[in-house]
Amino acid sequence: MKRLVTSLALAASLTAFSATGVLAADAAGPSSDDLLKSATNTEAVLTYGMGPQAQRFSPLTDLNADTVKKLVPVWSFSFGGEKQRGQEAQPIIYDGTIYVTGSYSRLYAVDARTGHKKWEYNHRLPDGIMPCCDVVNRGAAIYKDKIYFATLDARLVALNRETGKVVWNKKLQEYKEGYSNTAAPLIIDGKIITGNSGGEFGVIGMVEARDAETGELVWQRPTIEGNMGTLNGKESTVTGKTNASWPGDMYKTGGGATWLGGTYDPETKTLFFGTGNPAPWNSHLRPGDNLYTSSTLAINPDNGEIKWHYQTTPHDGWDFDGVNEFVSFDLKKDGKVIKAGGKADRNGFFYVIDRTNGKLINASPFVTKITWAKGIDIETGRPIYNDDNRPGAPATGDAHDAKGKSVFAAPAFLGAKNWMPMAYNPQTELFYVPANEWGMDIWNEPITYKKGAAYLGAGFTIKPLYDDYIGALRAVDPKTGKIVWEYKNPAPLWGGVLTTAGNLVFTGTPEGYLKAFDAKSGKEVWKFQTGSGVVGSPVTWKMDGEQYVAVVSGWGGAVPLWGGDVAKLVKDINQGGSLWVFKLPKA
Amino acid sequence: MAYVTRRRFLSGLAASCAAVGIASALGVPRSAAARPLDEVMERGRLRVAVYRDFPPFSFQRDGKLVGIDVDLAKAIAEKLGVKADIYEQIPGETVSDDLRVAVWRGSLFGGELADIMMHIPYDKQFGLMNPEAVLFGPYHHEVFALARDPQRVRSAMLATLPDEPIAVEIDSVPDFFLLGLQGGRLRSRVIHCPTPEAAIGKLTSGEAAAVLAPLSQVQAALGARSEQFPVTTVTLPGMMTSNWNIGMATKENSRDLAYSIGDAVTALTEDGTMGRIFAAYGVIHTPPPLVE
Repeated sequence: MKRLVTSLALAASLTAFSATGVLAADAAGPSSDDLLKSATNTEAVLTYGMGPQAQRFSPLTDLNADTVKKLVPVWSFSFGGEKQRGQEAQPIIYDGTIYVTGSYSRLYAVDARTGHKKWEYNHRLPDGIMPCCDVVNRGAAIYKDKIYFATLDARLVALNRETGKVVWNKKLQEYKEGYSNTAAPLIIDGKIITGNSGGEFGVIGMVEARDAETGELVWQRPTIEGNMGTLNGKESTVTGKTNASWPGDMYKTGGGATWLGGTYDPETKTLFFGTGNPAPWNSHLRPGDNLYTSSTLAINPDNGEIKWHYQTTPHDGWDFDGVNEFVSFDLKKDGKVIKAGGKADRNGFFYVIDRTNGKLINASPFVTKITWAKGIDIETGRPIYNDDNRPGAPATGDAHDAKGKSVFAAPAFLGAKNWMPMAYNPQTELFYVPANEWGMDIWNEPITYKKGAAYLGAGFTIKPLYDDYIGALRAVDPKTGKIVWEYKNPAPLWGGVLTTAGNLVFTGTPEGYLKAFDAKSGKEVWKFQTGSGVVGSPVTWKMDGEQYVAVVSGWGGAVPLWGGDVAKLVKDINQGGSLWVFKLPKA
Repeated sequence: MAYVTRRRFLSGLAASCAAVGIASALGVPRSAAARPLDEVMERGRLRVAVYRDFPPFSFQRDGKLVGIDVDLAKAIAEKLGVKADIYEQIPGETVSDDLRVAVWRGSLFGGELADIMMHIPYDKQFGLMNPEAVLFGPYHHEVFALARDPQRVRSAMLATLPDEPIAVEIDSVPDFFLLGLQGGRLRSRVIHCPTPEAAIGKLTSGEAAAVLAPLSQVQAALGARSEQFPVTTVTLPGMMTSNWNIGMATKENSRDLAYSIGDAVTALTEDGTMGRIFAAYGVIHTPPPLVE
């Protein structure tokens, strides 16, 4: 109330602002402190993950398992144009405006009350870019007077959040070398922090921090051991120890892309970035753990130094990669509170890790079938491999014409969980994990071609494990690793999850529904058909005394492009591109 | 002889495109209507995709797009009596991705499909994996070759390669071959380069004692220096693919265009144009062996 009075007083003196209805106190925009505290701010959604820890939890309770049946659509906004395909964004909400990214590197500012478009930024993409996995974008970042997002041609764009005019536009990587960027940036203490994606070959993963005001580079941290980091334009330290887990010069091109971005824990002042799979594909050619691929890295946000690492799939031979988000939470166990983090890895295990030192606390399967490992040794933190299930090297021994041994591996390379973010509810003390039940035939394949030349790739065919479902939203108890409840979905789940203090869990389905579940029992309590597949991440906030929910709709992503038999299953889902807003009307 | 007969037949078809146009308007099935060739002739333009930054086949030199594939595409267009409209395509992860983007589905970002794409492997197995495209007109036979510093690598026998640094293009068949050779004996000596050209640079600078790469790229990059660095073609034991034929691709419904261009390739090979185009970039043309 005090803030409102101040605003009005200011507005009176600044007629230009009051004429356009913008409150001067908000014109400065969210500060670093606002972003750090965004998890408890119910009037706005300031960060990707609804808080830097990315718990995707809202303390709001107006909407609950009883009242949710009254949740109704308020308006829908079309992204327009002929461009549709996958809409994987999470909206940012501030000061009565929704900032949402669309496919093809588009950004919209929409009036949160009316659905009226304030401005639209359509990034001009160069001819001939080749993103590997659809033309998605996962969201924007807001800070002070600017809104930021990364583009398919691997640039980072800062725009004035009132006008949509570009303030700066920096190259992150070279798109001609196959780089792209689809993740939402993270802003900590005035630095905008991004990962890298694309470019499977000849590339190493990188985490980079830039000054959010100017876009100038502050530090870079390569994710592969042996490569040099930078700080303030000078060389800083080498990642890991050169050649400790890589032969020859292979560390220079070892993979480990950080394509999903990262999370941040204000309590331990630590960034967490997941890293992708190692290159080359055939694991027999790169003996060793191949650090730090398929890992979570804990990084100091001030200088880019690595605090600790935890590798989920050492010597990855299945293209699992380890980019999945690391979500900080307080683990209450045996009367103690442990600063922990949860990670549902593509390899099918749910890891609970001490976030102060990277030590494994617990690891348990969150899918029904895992063939590559028997389990994770809690003492050593290492997987107990099923050696028979590693795809064979092509042409071993005398079998000169052999394609490598074909194995059936589960999960499939699209992962027990792919990019779509899970949620943690501190009240139910459960994680809500969007999982998929599928496996793959995989072999190292001798006949394929790259750039007109013979090439040894990997052959794979994705197969559902069950006839009646692939997707499964699962409530995982981090204390025990047990699955408390599950919701089975016919098509694979590909959208993010939201949970609330109102005992609710929201997620979307490719079949077009936004659904709500009772957070304790898993009972479906509400659904709404959005007209196209939902593969974005829902959010909730309070405005004018009413609780709102927003989600984007538009089917796409990697499943229709890579899914084999699964792609056939979803081929009749229509594309789309819209933002849906719902509210619980005042009684 | 079969070629000549078909060429005559096809040129006849092209000449009577007006009649075919009427036929297609009457709803005659597409395969019989043979539209894509008509469309190319009617537009007077052949749209051709070539790889970007791919010397000696397609690359920028002094701000101009040049190379073997570029010159060949121009010669083909000239044979058809149309203009060549050549554009550069960024290579995808595999050639299947390139085919999808260039000739059959198109880019997610819009733009015109190519009528043909150059430098596509002509391989029956690979063709079966890409039913949406037609592979045709093989014009060159590619093999792997070892270029070496004879003082450091005395013989071109792969099995007895000495413990010396050897440069390759990253993620190529020679790369995987050497990493896996004899239990990984040379694994720590492999120098990974972004292109075969860069690998040759390592050889001539003395950083590497040898290079293993496709012969045409080795020949073009070495040029006259092949006198100091002998080049020997090799087969890579254990690898299924040590040599392959290079041709072109078009969309599945454009077989008539494929036949017509295939005949142009035959004519350009017979009259010596093909050999001259390759020679202009320091590459010896090897016609594909006649198979199947």
